[in-house]
Amino acid sequence: MLKTMFALDEEPHPSAPPQPMQSPEQLRSECVARTGVYRLLSAAFIEEPGREFLAALRQPDALASLAEAGLAFDDDFAASDLDALVDRLSCEYTTLFAASGGFPPVESVRLTGRYKQEPHFQVGQIYARCGFVLGRGRFEIFPDQLGAELMFVAELLERSVQALDAAETAEFARLEREIKRFWTLHLGRWVRGYGRLLERAAEHSFYREMGRFLSGFADEEIAAMRLRIEDLDQARVVVPKREIRVEFNPDEPVCNGCGPDPGAEAGTRPVATVHPLHDLR
Amino acid sequence: MEFPKITRRTFLKVSAGTTAAAATAPRLLHAMENELGGKDFDPVNAAERKAIPINCHVCNIQDGAIAYVENDRVVKLEGNPEHVSTRGRLCAKGNSGMWYSYDPDRILYPLRRVGARGEGKWKRITWDEALAEVAEKLDAALKEDPNTIMMKYGRNRTGGTLDRFMQTLGSATVVNHTSVCESSKKVGMEPTWGPDIETPDFANAKYVLNFGSNVLEAAYFHNPLSQRVTEGRIDNQMKIVTFDVRLSNTAGFSDEWIPVFPATDGAVALAIGHVILREDLQDSDFINTWTNVTVDELKAHYAQYTPEWASKISGVPVETIERIAREFATTKPATLFTYRGPAKHLYGSYNEKACMMLPIMTGNVEKRGGYCLPRGMGWPQPEPQPGKPAKASYLSRPPDYPLAAHKVSHLVPFWIAEGKQKINVYFTYQDNAVYTNPGSTAVWGKLYKDEKLIPFLVSMSPFMGEETALADLILPDCPYLERWEPESMPNSLWPWLGIRQPVHKSLGESRENRVLLRDIIWKLDPDGSRGMKKFWDFKDGEDYMRHHFDNVPGLKEAGGLDFLKKHGVWPIYGKLDPRTGKVTDKTGREIQAEYGLFRKELSVADMEGTVVDAHGLINKNGKAIGIRRNGKNYVGFPTGNRLINVRVDEWAEYGFNPMPTFKRIPWHEAMQDDEMILSTFKLNVHKQSRTAAVKWLAEIAHSNPAWMNPETAKKLGVKTGDLVRIESAVGYLVTKAYVTEGIHPKVVSIPTGFGHWEYGRLATLRLKDRKGDASHGADDPDLDNVWWDDKGVHPNNIIPVVADPIGGSQGWFDTVVKVTKAGPNDKYGDTQGDWDKHVAAFKETMRYAYTGDLHRKMHPEMASWGGPESVKGKAPGGH
Repeated sequence: MLKTMFALDEEPHPSAPPQPMQSPEQLRSECVARTGVYRLLSAAFIEEPGREFLAALRQPDALASLAEAGLAFDDDFAASDLDALVDRLSCEYTTLFAASGGFPPVESVRLTGRYKQEPHFQVGQIYARCGFVLGRGRFEIFPDQLGAELMFVAELLERSVQALDAAETAEFARLEREIKRFWTLHLGRWVRGYGRLLERAAEHSFYREMGRFLSGFADEEIAAMRLRIEDLDQARVVVPKREIRVEFNPDEPVCNGCGPDPGAEAGTRPVATVHPLHDLR
Repeated sequence: MEFPKITRRTFLKVSAGTTAAAATAPRLLHAMENELGGKDFDPVNAAERKAIPINCHVCNIQDGAIAYVENDRVVKLEGNPEHVSTRGRLCAKGNSGMWYSYDPDRILYPLRRVGARGEGKWKRITWDEALAEVAEKLDAALKEDPNTIMMKYGRNRTGGTLDRFMQTLGSATVVNHTSVCESSKKVGMEPTWGPDIETPDFANAKYVLNFGSNVLEAAYFHNPLSQRVTEGRIDNQMKIVTFDVRLSNTAGFSDEWIPVFPATDGAVALAIGHVILREDLQDSDFINTWTNVTVDELKAHYAQYTPEWASKISGVPVETIERIAREFATTKPATLFTYRGPAKHLYGSYNEKACMMLPIMTGNVEKRGGYCLPRGMGWPQPEPQPGKPAKASYLSRPPDYPLAAHKVSHLVPFWIAEGKQKINVYFTYQDNAVYTNPGSTAVWGKLYKDEKLIPFLVSMSPFMGEETALADLILPDCPYLERWEPESMPNSLWPWLGIRQPVHKSLGESRENRVLLRDIIWKLDPDGSRGMKKFWDFKDGEDYMRHHFDNVPGLKEAGGLDFLKKHGVWPIYGKLDPRTGKVTDKTGREIQAEYGLFRKELSVADMEGTVVDAHGLINKNGKAIGIRRNGKNYVGFPTGNRLINVRVDEWAEYGFNPMPTFKRIPWHEAMQDDEMILSTFKLNVHKQSRTAAVKWLAEIAHSNPAWMNPETAKKLGVKTGDLVRIESAVGYLVTKAYVTEGIHPKVVSIPTGFGHWEYGRLATLRLKDRKGDASHGADDPDLDNVWWDDKGVHPNNIIPVVADPIGGSQGWFDTVVKVTKAGPNDKYGDTQGDWDKHVAAFKETMRYAYTGDLHRKMHPEMASWGGPESVKGKAPGGH
């Protein structure tokens, strides 16, 4: 429990393959690569994607590498007029994330059903402790907004690269723990399910694929960091309410039913009147 | 050594002998609920939470409240023990208020419509873009005619900001919501005694007649008055008699519930008055001194309203009417209370007047335990102030309703459709006419979807709702816990001033209304050259409040706004006694209210330079300031002649009966055996349209089956839970039946506040969670704990407009319906209203206006009236 809470390195899971030791160069290039992915995802969610971002993303090289990662955009993304795409995605962003009836990409909302609850303050405190302050983009956002949380990890990864460049292994290890802790306490608790929800609900292939990318990448990151985190957002088993059955007969008397019937003959087993409740999950 | 055996009796003797010593023993343990009033603590670290006093604004009772804040987050709301009216108590709605701040469906950014109106497609835009767009539209409208800019508001507690905005633009097209609320109650009372409402002194009364108010659950002023009703009942053995079509919680708390045929309360009240006058039980001295009629005139007028006549109409037995008349007149002090029951009918103003006559004729006015004038306080407006608009607006003061001083907002869609007034820009604030008005989406939905009639619709709202969903532009306003607003409400016998103040930072980019209106004006007149900006010269909401409060005499000396920020209310009359729940002075005695306001004598200074006319009216500088009675100079009532006007002469000018009267609703007289009357009501945990998304409240009440009497249900072959089809002249709905003895057999009644089709996931039980559609959204954490799947059925589509020709009020409880067992093709929740049929209903109700062809027919007693031509050119009246 404590290990999970504080993201301490665990003993390798018996089924997990042993991790080969990585050289500083390998670690550095992995951090750089991860930073890029975090920044890409952050840009997709922190606000409506801008013209430059979309133009860069639609470059053949970028599309090819996204395709390699399994992302298959439809023509509505790859073949549409760029200005029209910016406008279309702006509307889609609003419908999904900023208008009533959508699903704001905000940890407080996803985990508590309300804005500005515990995750909001916890994340804000983490940013401050790590020396960050959340600025304003085109719009003001919450600290526990998905784009901000992803951006935070990207910033920590950039610091990790700097630590590696400066051969500060202790600092690198501290930052690694910080990232793991952040995943354990925040991102890991909600983004996998959230990504799947987005994949299911998005009208436009950009957000559908970004949702898929988010959940897939989160799965990989969690596995790579050897964390065990319950997905509180969507991975919970939700028992449809009308299918819940209570396994006892409500007409049976319960009171005085647990002791032996004083009138019964010795040695006769009393009829069981109490039936245990089973967790149907 | 052996001690003598000590019995329990011996011990108890010790107690008797040491009473004085025991009294001096320290007492360190106190009941938590008494000790913690006004304070709250974190249960984990025991740190005291920041307490910020406010006035609640979930509904409009304006309870004093305290928001407990941790980390800039509201964690608890409770009553403010320093508030004289609500005395530390807050209802369930008030306790749930923080849900508004943190609602996941809250609108946090300006949104521009991108699809068809109502399609639900939006684009988030910046404030700069939004303000520029509004300014551009306003600019064009101003060039054509300022009155083409319309503001319609629902709950407006801005303290004058909306009027300032419209006056700055030079538009008179300001329309409120009062005609669907209580306007005929107001118009029934105002010309008679001045104010628009009464304050019954329940706590000290011995007898209460309650006509159609459900004060223990919902009516004005639920929390403060229900406390006093309980005190009167428990401490004073007060008797309560309730006339209502439904066994409300208030009726259930009463000594007698008398189910009365809908819309006939006025007839019963007149008949009670008849018995009082017939048996000489009236207060003749009061009538002759303080009203504009004599006892003899009154007796002659009331002779026609016999109990037999009223009994035939209302179904209330003659002997009951006579008994209650005697009880009311001979039990002192006695009071009376009404709310929407009598007033929300075709002739609601007459009904209200008939009811208020009972405390008047028995002299119970302004007495301890009686029927008192409301007490409120005002505040100055920031200077300079814009002047009044140059031109009148048809929609704001419709000429067919000259006495409807609180407007006739529910007829506005029809007048716009008829082309009575052109609209270019339509602002809506804290309103939801598409849901709350008669005709609902069939009428208002159709209006808003017509871009020719409403070319540009701006909603200032923190939430999506049935109306906001049809807007072109949404400007995100702040919920009440994030705004500055001045307050005063006559919700007890002690006047007070209060504030709402932000208890935490606004979420997202929402802006409080007065700030966003300022920003619109600043965009429209950036350099002040148009003469608008000078009226909006304030830094923020707090700065605006300083203009209101820093120079109020008395409050200024106490600290002005800073005092209100600390206490939430001024004055502080005393300390709340946790044992009694009453506000007490230093000696522990309850602070007494002041009575007999109209009997206050004018001072010598007041009388300087006055002229007293032949009727005793004391005039000073052309204004009536008092009345001379029996040689003394009194302040009198706040009417033109400083008296109670039993006879309202202005009504007669328009062919209405100036004396207390009753008009039977013609279509009720013509009802068939298989027809019923549809009424609506509110439950104690919901308000009109904005509580269904509050989780704690929705969990308590989320569906609204139709109440019907077992006698009726038996005829229809219906039992509780069965589907029924309710059909009116304008539409139909399908809902569930709830069979109960607590309803008049000729009435079917549906609670309001349910059956939303917009307004967030909890109200609609819908959430976008798959492509192309929305569904129940079971994966959403907020809905995961929602165990109910019934959101109720909204009845307003099938309720046609009815307008009281005097007060302009909607006749909510006048709809004749047929109720049948649902057919094979009927589904729960089906509802349909027809625009053309609603238009027909509008035309029909206009026939009762003073200009309509049925007006004379309904008023044969006014045969000598000169007709509409006789008042042509006369300025509209009203209070």
